Amino acid sequence: MATRKRTSTAPEKDSTKPSTLAPPVEKNLSAEVLAALDITDTSMNPPASLEGRDHELLKKLYDGVVKARAFEDRMHSMYRAGDLLGSYYSGNWHEAISVGTMAAMEERDYYCPLHRDVGGHLMRGMPPEQIMGSFMGKSIAPTGGRDGTLHYGRLDLNTYNPPSHIPANYPVATGMAFAAKYRGEDRVAVAICGDGSTSRADFHESVNIAGAMQLPAVFQVQNNQIAMGTKLSMQTNSGSFVIKAAAYGIPGIKCDGTDVIAVYDAMKEAIDRARSGGGPTIVEAVTMRMHGHAEHDGAEYVDPALKEEWGKRDPVELYEKRLIEAGVISEEEAAETREAARKWAIAARKIAITAPMPDPTNIEEGVYAD
Amino acid sequence: MPTEEKTSYSYLEAIGAALAHELDNNDDFFLIGEDVGAFGGPFKVTKGFLEKYGPRRIIDSPIAETGMAGLAAGAALAGLRPMVEFQFADFISCAFDPIINTIARHHWRTGDAMPIVLRAPFGGRLRAGPTHSQSMETYFAHVPGLKIVMPGTAEDAAGLLIASIRDNNPVMFFENKYLYRRLSAQGSPSFEPIELGKANVVREGTDITVVTYSAGVHQAVEAAEELAKDGISVEVVDLRTIKPLDIETVAASVKKTSRAVVLHEAAEFMGMGAEIAAEIQKEAFWYLDQPVERIAAKNTPTPTSPPLEDAVIPQQPEITETIRKVAKA
Repeated sequence: MATRKRTSTAPEKDSTKPSTLAPPVEKNLSAEVLAALDITDTSMNPPASLEGRDHELLKKLYDGVVKARAFEDRMHSMYRAGDLLGSYYSGNWHEAISVGTMAAMEERDYYCPLHRDVGGHLMRGMPPEQIMGSFMGKSIAPTGGRDGTLHYGRLDLNTYNPPSHIPANYPVATGMAFAAKYRGEDRVAVAICGDGSTSRADFHESVNIAGAMQLPAVFQVQNNQIAMGTKLSMQTNSGSFVIKAAAYGIPGIKCDGTDVIAVYDAMKEAIDRARSGGGPTIVEAVTMRMHGHAEHDGAEYVDPALKEEWGKRDPVELYEKRLIEAGVISEEEAAETREAARKWAIAARKIAITAPMPDPTNIEEGVYAD
Repeated sequence: MPTEEKTSYSYLEAIGAALAHELDNNDDFFLIGEDVGAFGGPFKVTKGFLEKYGPRRIIDSPIAETGMAGLAAGAALAGLRPMVEFQFADFISCAFDPIINTIARHHWRTGDAMPIVLRAPFGGRLRAGPTHSQSMETYFAHVPGLKIVMPGTAEDAAGLLIASIRDNNPVMFFENKYLYRRLSAQGSPSFEPIELGKANVVREGTDITVVTYSAGVHQAVEAAEELAKDGISVEVVDLRTIKPLDIETVAASVKKTSRAVVLHEAAEFMGMGAEIAAEIQKEAFWYLDQPVERIAAKNTPTPTSPPLEDAVIPQQPEITETIRKVAKA
């Protein structure tokens, strides 16, 4: 056979013919679709009221965000000191989301988070030196140095260690929620991703499956305005992530990700619904990424005005101020809590730094399970 | 599924019977796939399963290979034994990421078990064209942590599948769809698991070894019978499992016969033949009388039209003559 030549399939242009484009189809949404549009947006609300709240919970949330911040501060300085193998993916301004989320979960619930969720991991019981060790390739890391950086979940803590392909944790969370429903167990799976992840098939396929099967899952999108260097307007034309819930026929809640109480309330509502058989929810928590994608990234591409505006909304400071104003804690208690957290992070660094590197002699073992 | 009156069963029926056997005996085991329920699967392997086991265990998935494979990973970590059926092996490409990055390396990273079976009908000869005829084994053979099982006979299909389901590792189970209704065995299927990673000498011989798997087993046996008429004694080794690869059985056979040909349906370039030839040369170089020869598909996509597909996938005369050439060289 002769080699086939590439030919153009474009028709000849004939300007005398009218356009064959059909007129726009009228969008008639069915009653079912309209009924399914269950979207709440509290993201522009004033800070959630502390009145009538359980003080134990309020203090637990405070301790959580303070520890998360102390850990972040320590990791930033460890990066600058050259302690880490690669970079560090800062969770600054994400502390309220991680902590509010974990506080709304039960210990038996599955946690499938991403790289800026240190606060949730710490609250679940992950020792801080193990997370540090993960960024140092140390033997004390949950993978013993086989994997590193942010890939540090532990199944015995019902936390998943995601691979780099975000949001690969979304389908996994769907499977954990599936298993809970399959066995009739009272467990919910919470999966977390960033705004950029919503563009991938994993996101769509998982949320769609969980909606179709009515699985006990909550899908959280941490909208921090930018995915590496790609701003929201280039990521999607949908403007918001919570409205995607409508397309899957599930509820959505959008909240202020710098208000730990607002995050707690949104996640609690979504988790309670999942636990009681009401199926999945998309929760969008809005915040700002105050560091680069990782510490090696100076993030010069970020609009300074955006950073200045969000800079006034430090989730840890804001919450502390509210607690003091409401008389839940005193200034002295706050100072003590912060100092204790600082010392706790320093102690963890010491353990991580002195921990041994892994032994390479067994590297070919454990490829297969027995 | 075979009824009591039947005295024989097909390769497809063996697979269906093995699935039913495990569904009957382990409530943690479930099957998810596109149209595995009411439709009974594209080849009717799971016909009647939805009625018997219900929608809790036989799950029609949305068209979402990534989502399904990832769901299986989560379910396995939560203690279940998921099986994902891909309608055609060609569609596994859509799940490449969860298989490689989530499923295959999870145990090595953490020590947690990942007991999943990914089943897929593969291969050519059905005139189904370049995106419904692919052999996918070497895409995945390169990935640490996966096991790859490719039964070649109706007798082996059930035992290999049961062993795969009970294995604590992710197993890719490739069923040759050309063999589904063309192979049969006497009696009823045995549910005794067949150890993964052990090859089977299906025909003994002394002059030359043919290393093969899946449909190649039958082509090799047919060639061996033809060559026996000319006094050439061919030994046929069915690998059964591509990974782990049982090179010991292959090397022992080559040490006996001193000549070897590798036969498979996947394209030759970087195919299993390359790996097996290299391993034979490592393990049995001083026993070889001739270089190891490969018989495989041409390095093109698989065409649709019969004369074109036949020109790409190894055919009987070419197989017989290549074995004869190496045996007599």
